[in-house]
Amino acid sequence: MANIKLSFILNRKPYTVETDPGKRMLDVLREDLGLMGTKEGCGVGECGACTVILNGKAVTSCLVLAGQMQDAEILTIEGMSDDEIGRVIQDCFIESGAVQCGFCTPGFIMSAYALLMENPTPTRDEIRLAVAGNICRCTGYIPITDAIEKASKILAK
Amino acid sequence: MKIRNFIQVKTVEAFHEAVKAANGSIAILAGGTDVLVNGREDDVYKDCTVIDIFPIEELHGVRETENMLLIGACTTHEAISHDPLVKQYAPILAEASGAVGSLQTRNRATIGGNLANASPAADTMSALAVLHAELVIERDGEARVEPMTAIFTKPYKTNLAPNDLITTIRVPKLSPNVRYDYIKVGRRKVLSISRMTVATLLEMDDEGVVTRFDMTVGATFPRPMLFPDISAMLVGKRPTEQDILDVAKALSDKIPEIAGIRKSTVYKQPVCRNISERSLRKLCADILK
Ligand SMILES: Cc1cc2nc3c(=O)[nH]c(=O)nc-3n(C[C@H](O)[C@H](O)[C@H](O)COP(=O)(O)OP(=O)(O)OC[C@H]3O[C@@H](n4cnc5c(N)ncnc54)[C@H](O)[C@@H]3O)c2cc1C
Ligand code: FES
Ligand code: FES
Repeated sequence: MANIKLSFILNRKPYTVETDPGKRMLDVLREDLGLMGTKEGCGVGECGACTVILNGKAVTSCLVLAGQMQDAEILTIEGMSDDEIGRVIQDCFIESGAVQCGFCTPGFIMSAYALLMENPTPTRDEIRLAVAGNICRCTGYIPITDAIEKASKILAK
Repeated sequence: MKIRNFIQVKTVEAFHEAVKAANGSIAILAGGTDVLVNGREDDVYKDCTVIDIFPIEELHGVRETENMLLIGACTTHEAISHDPLVKQYAPILAEASGAVGSLQTRNRATIGGNLANASPAADTMSALAVLHAELVIERDGEARVEPMTAIFTKPYKTNLAPNDLITTIRVPKLSPNVRYDYIKVGRRKVLSISRMTVATLLEMDDEGVVTRFDMTVGATFPRPMLFPDISAMLVGKRPTEQDILDVAKALSDKIPEIAGIRKSTVYKQPVCRNISERSLRKLCADILK
């Protein structure tokens, strides 16, 4: 359909884009805004590579319609470096060997960020549950769980 | 996906107005976790005005009356699974919603969408069936109430008109001494669209005599079902091991009876029988001793 104007807060800055509201949020981020950090794996909500934070909640951006971004507050991986929690999580992923090919990493980091925002001192089981919707074909899940646990400990200090 | 028009509404009234203004097909969009998956293939929504109801504040959250929980249709599974009222008065539903997909899915996916999509595998259906839940449905400003199980006609089909909006799921409150069990058998722990769920509510008096018993299997029949004959097998009795074996057999025998003999029956019938036995034994543990 014809483009409409969408206004939202993305990574703490206001944006207005004119786009087709029938697109997926994932495509607005990658195509309209050129933010390529959010990845597309399965396109049907099963891999978590496209995870972003929408109004405080981790969601798969392949299953959100662009029109639903209207007035929303959105955080993507690109917004992680100017945020203490985001920076610590990223560092811990690198230090714990939780990144190999890196394709799944932005999604995992967004899930981890949403978790630590809500629950700064999660147990390993809570960490596993929070990232259970993210798939990694390279590292196995132990280094990823380690990375998030380490980040929570550093942030708790 | 291809659509004809898109409109976001913030009140139920605005929804009815948007329907009238749409002239042509409409599609309701809530969390979108079914709509966006359906919309990938073919151009199912290309002639539709998509009406996004997720921003309707009054459809989010859980309220209570003296005897009922009133769950807004746009309440997400994640919100339901943690809601204090649901945990207190309908804990079996908190478990069922908590068993849906992954956190990312539960953060968007709504209970209204779970029902309206009418997938026989929808996880909340068996729990809502044993709870005797009802739906408040609004069309053009007029509300009606129907038993939850009454809207389904066949897999992925309901008798809802396109301008029918489920606004509320009404759940009679359970008394604290109702025992419950919800089991989901899936492929993996998360993200598995259910292969089978078994939902059970059991209430007994001080002597261990059953005063209420509702048990059903989900993701197995073309639509959610309740069985008065199964309930009657335990009500008025103090359950024995033999009763449990009989109920589990009778429940699993419904599968070929209703769904017909299919490839999956070979797998589902014994699985149903086993988990029903396990579930009932757990619920009656103190009585069987
Ligand atoms: C990765 C993944 C995993 C999943 N896992 C599970 C699972 O484990 N268990 C399970 O049960 N489901 C699962 N689902 C399916 C889906 O998430 C649920 O059915 C969900 O509850 C649908 O809600 P929604 O708000 O996203 O619906 P939408 O996609 O927005 O809508 C679904 C349908 O309902 C209609 N509708 C929505 N709200 C209303 C309303 N208030 N009144 C009238 N019509 C309405 C829409 O028009 C549409 O036809 C999964 C989906 C995905 C993508
Ligand atoms: S691309 Fe969205 S979940 Fe896989
Ligand atoms: S690092 Fe390659 S998929 Fe996770």
